[in-house]
Amino acid sequence: MFDFLKQYYPVFLEGTAQTILISIIGIVIGILLGLIFVMFRLSKIKALSYIARVYIAIVRGTPAMIQVMLIYYTLSNVLAVPQIQFLGSGLDRVIPGSIALGINSGAYTAEIFRSGIISISKGQTEAGISLGLSERTTMFSIILPQAVRNILPALGNEFISLVKESSVLFYIGVQEVTAQALGVGGTLYNFVPPLIVAAIIYFVLTFVLSQLMQIVERRMGRKYIQSN
Amino acid sequence: MAEENIIEVKNLKKAYADNVVLEDISFTVRKSEKVVLIGPSGGGKSTLLRCLNRLEGDYSGNVIFEGEELNSASKDKLRALRQKMGMVFQQFNLFPNKTVLENITFAPVKLRVDTPKQAIEHAHSLLKQVGLSEKADAYPQSLSGGQQQRVAIARALAMNPEVMLFDEPTSALDPEVVGEVLGVMEKLAADGMTMIIVTHEMSFAQNVADKVLFMDKGKIADSGNPKYIFEETKNTRTQSFLSKVM
Repeated sequence: MFDFLKQYYPVFLEGTAQTILISIIGIVIGILLGLIFVMFRLSKIKALSYIARVYIAIVRGTPAMIQVMLIYYTLSNVLAVPQIQFLGSGLDRVIPGSIALGINSGAYTAEIFRSGIISISKGQTEAGISLGLSERTTMFSIILPQAVRNILPALGNEFISLVKESSVLFYIGVQEVTAQALGVGGTLYNFVPPLIVAAIIYFVLTFVLSQLMQIVERRMGRKYIQSN
Repeated sequence: MAEENIIEVKNLKKAYADNVVLEDISFTVRKSEKVVLIGPSGGGKSTLLRCLNRLEGDYSGNVIFEGEELNSASKDKLRALRQKMGMVFQQFNLFPNKTVLENITFAPVKLRVDTPKQAIEHAHSLLKQVGLSEKADAYPQSLSGGQQQRVAIARALAMNPEVMLFDEPTSALDPEVVGEVLGVMEKLAADGMTMIIVTHEMSFAQNVADKVLFMDKGKIADSGNPKYIFEETKNTRTQSFLSKVM
């Protein structure tokens, strides 16, 4: 049933590498956007808070597939990325596509960060401020490190779903695992075996990722037991 | 001029919508003076204390600390003023992800009050002062409440404050460890620290205070030296409060 792998395994490897690449870019952009927008969301400046709410509402309320296509067709006009081929796809598709993944993930990440920040007692902020630290230093050096530790499980879930949802980039022609599996299926006139291979690849990737998250959790948790 | 005022509170008033929580509060604190705020819960003691370093803002009137008006102070100025006012909280508020030593050295190093090396030396001497030398590398969660509060005092002292604010420092403690925290505070008082203390520990107030302010319903209802407040006052509200708590 899986004899085709002998011939097509390089295609799957390439797709896997592409999936890993777009996921990493998406996760990094998502974390950065999440941090920026959670600061907006919690800002005392009403306009910033409003912008963050609108961003989060739009991303959560529309399908990822449409977001990706909208961003791709808009960005590819604006960015003018050269059509260099990398891991089987043009960078003009990979870059807008991973940015779209990041923009999508950023909204969820911002909400996860927010839940983490509000879970830290107000006394921690007051302790920092009363020592003469600025609100910014207090947020970044005292509150966020504790918040991140509390939200690691939720962040891990978000990263895993991003890896899986990166398959939507198939719609804009990025040759990631799903696209490659469908391509192989088309050649074989049989889609089931290649899709099973794709599923196994996603499972392995997300399994490894969840193990990595657990290691990070254990590292950060070893030092102290959560108070409050 | 024998002794100067380090803090002056002038006509302080604070309200949440129609709910007046502090009204017409005026008093002064001289250098080295120990001022103790007592009174029933909800009387505004903690709110008043938190106004002194502007953890609570939005009040009318003014707090003047070392000649600087807090109301008109810029953000930078306010931070500089807060560095000189140590604060100790009811719930300790130690940073749980930092060791005892890191809790104490974090702000002085970050704010460049000390070099990292000086800060560590300073922290060790403060830990010795509060009797916790052997706990430098422990995390707060592994300490008892009394120990955590003593670390919190050391953390506040690490900034070399001019005045220490205590917000019910023993109210969250098990009775058997209240004494160790009060002991540290008494030593601090004897060393000449200026202290403003909100407390329900009446015998401590009697021993340490130079001035006692009895607060009720957002006002200073009665004030004077401990002898006056605890023995001589004719104020019926003070008398009835004291008869309930002593």
